[in-house]
Amino acid sequence: MRNTVLFVLGGLMLAGIIHIVTVLMVPYFATNDAWAEMRRFGRAETFHVLPLAEAGAEPLAGLDPRMLQAVCRFTLENGPVRITASLPADFWSIAIFDRRGRNAYSINDRAADGEELDLVVITPVQMAQLRQDPPEALENAIVIELPIGEGLALLRVFVADETLLPHARAALETADCAGTL
Amino acid sequence: MRLLIDIAIALVIAAVLGLGTAWYAVDRGPLFGGLTAGPWKAWPSAGSPNADPYAIARLARSGEVPLGAGEGLAFTARTDQEGRPLEGRCTYRLDGVTPAARLWTLTAYDGGGRLMANAARRTGFHSREILRRQDGSFAIGVSDSVQPGNWLPIATGGAFSLVFRLYDTPLTTGGSVSDAMMPRIEREACR
Repeated sequence: MRNTVLFVLGGLMLAGIIHIVTVLMVPYFATNDAWAEMRRFGRAETFHVLPLAEAGAEPLAGLDPRMLQAVCRFTLENGPVRITASLPADFWSIAIFDRRGRNAYSINDRAADGEELDLVVITPVQMAQLRQDPPEALENAIVIELPIGEGLALLRVFVADETLLPHARAALETADCAGTL
Repeated sequence: MRLLIDIAIALVIAAVLGLGTAWYAVDRGPLFGGLTAGPWKAWPSAGSPNADPYAIARLARSGEVPLGAGEGLAFTARTDQEGRPLEGRCTYRLDGVTPAARLWTLTAYDGGGRLMANAARRTGFHSREILRRQDGSFAIGVSDSVQPGNWLPIATGGAFSLVFRLYDTPLTTGGSVSDAMMPRIEREACR
């Protein structure tokens, strides 16, 4: 009897380990994560405006149907990435995700101070190299140091009603994420 | 023989409990670190670099793109104020106010987390188009049939959930939320 109790306790401990390992492994086996889904929208290093989410036709899970979104996959391996856009909208925001879908950075129009988005994503190593002789672009841009290799940027623009949709689309089409310093 | 049975018991407990609790925690959302206001739940850390492993696993499985902490915060409700699951055959009344935010949207999703098709072709409300009372509070009828005032149409039958997205809200940078700060979800008639 005492033996069985010990085995039950051992089973519980093993359950704890399995629980932790499973949770940690899920992101590595998930095949429909946002990154995989975004391949469908086209090539990297450029913003793609996603269709407005509608019932039965959602470009990605969990997107607000009242926001128009654009995504860009980028890599920092060949140098820093500069993201620019001109967004005269009621509300806009941008989020940077790493390869695993973790949110690495986000900001909205009010915090970014206005219509012009100018953001530089750079790795700490690249930043250290640039610090000797910082290019002019770094002076005015919001500089985000992220230790990531690949990432994606998601821009959201609020669409108050359907008549404003062309306006929002035009704003998102100014977005560029291939810019160099 | 005895030993084999004991080992089998240990392994079954380990597999069932370990996988079961992992699935539950990932599927239903983290059990801790959330904000709760009545039936509304939100996980502010899910949209920040210090998201916990449960939040990361959940997002990886759903392919969902969370709101970043600098963008806003999404509250989800799967039950009414009394804790009963939201059902498409019932009419609900959302009544109250929202926490401070520059902008908010309210959207209904089906049991699988997809947008609901409905006859009115309306997927949600936002804060600038809603009819309010003089004190700024509002009421929204959630139903598959036409409601007076603010009407959020849903598909008939099946479970559904409501997502309240608050954009540019101080809640993302800390702060707490009380039950009175989010609209109550009262069930009215059911068919």
